[in-house]
Amino acid sequence: MQPPFDAIFDEAEHRYLKPDELQEMRQYVFSLKDRVSTYQMIRDRELSLMQQVADQIQYTMPDAELAALERSLKNAMLSLRYCSMGMVLNDPSFVQNRLLGWLSDSMQIHNSSAIDRAVFRLIVQQLAQVLTSQQMELFQPFLNLAQAVLPAPVEEEMLTVAGMF
Amino acid sequence: MISVADLLTNDRIPANYYANEVYVRGDLEMGLLESRRGDRLLAIPETLIQAIYAGLTKETGQASRLVLFNCGRWWGKNFFNRFRDEVSDYYEMPLVDMSMAEFLQALKQCWMTYGLGKLDLDQSYHHRGFLVITTWNSAFIRQAPKSQLPAGFLEAGILSAVFSQLAGRELHCVQTSCESLGSDCNRFVIGLQKRLDSAEAMVEKQLDHESIMPRLCA
Repeated sequence: MQPPFDAIFDEAEHRYLKPDELQEMRQYVFSLKDRVSTYQMIRDRELSLMQQVADQIQYTMPDAELAALERSLKNAMLSLRYCSMGMVLNDPSFVQNRLLGWLSDSMQIHNSSAIDRAVFRLIVQQLAQVLTSQQMELFQPFLNLAQAVLPAPVEEEMLTVAGMF
Repeated sequence: MISVADLLTNDRIPANYYANEVYVRGDLEMGLLESRRGDRLLAIPETLIQAIYAGLTKETGQASRLVLFNCGRWWGKNFFNRFRDEVSDYYEMPLVDMSMAEFLQALKQCWMTYGLGKLDLDQSYHHRGFLVITTWNSAFIRQAPKSQLPAGFLEAGILSAVFSQLAGRELHCVQTSCESLGSDCNRFVIGLQKRLDSAEAMVEKQLDHESIMPRLCA
């Protein structure tokens, strides 16, 4: 993955871009057409792709609580949306800063890592069928970012403030 | 069967309302910093915090702790109202219906985005009717005048007001460990006033958090 351009733009008042930075920008602009078409593909297939994941996860994990499955599917859809946008911008920090801290907290709170992992596996399988290998290559690094925060299972009990005092 | 389309609310999936790149906005023409709802935000310099401490100490001496605690309560009440409106609008769910975990997740993110530092919850004593909130990197504690006692009176006030509003009954808050005294973090114990009186006395005697909690729960 190329680094984001923010730092370059921040220095506009200091200097013009160096040849290697211009080259980096050209490469990004060149890749933008593919990024946008990959984005569009994921956008258009979001519902059907996620519906297949939902059907399969219910089949493979029939004993899982419905609310837990729904939460994991929602988190997965969120990840898909953020990763797609991150891919268009080619900016891993977009996904990291805006989603991942929050997402990993959310997954830890609900102790849903077994379902989350299974859902992510199914998403990767579905994407592999929908995207070309070149498109997958663009998208995979961002999906990996989200997959990397899936936590290990922990026992934690649910607590409400109203119930305490 | 799960219908994925039904999981979306108006085609959106609520996530992190307080993501700081999205939350903090500005109306440059008016010279304002604003939240994503359009409420005014202010960045305050550390020197102003120092000045408030210096002024309070000069004018009110020992009473400045109580003044700060009460300012914190006032702040906390309004902080909570804004937080409640933002969170319940965004998640389309009343705050009281949210689980403690989800509430806390939003509060942690909010605390960070406001630049107040990091915040977490220690649930170890909840069976005994106490919540312990831990915080790190408090600007108010860092700038507080040197003392033998914990210095987070403003935050203690904020937290007591926030959790009182949330629980729907009056709760008090006592700080039992402080970064200014070399602790790894600031610990604030929240509970009913009458059950926390003895904690205040123990803090005055400079007992540490690990010694206070078992006695408080005994």
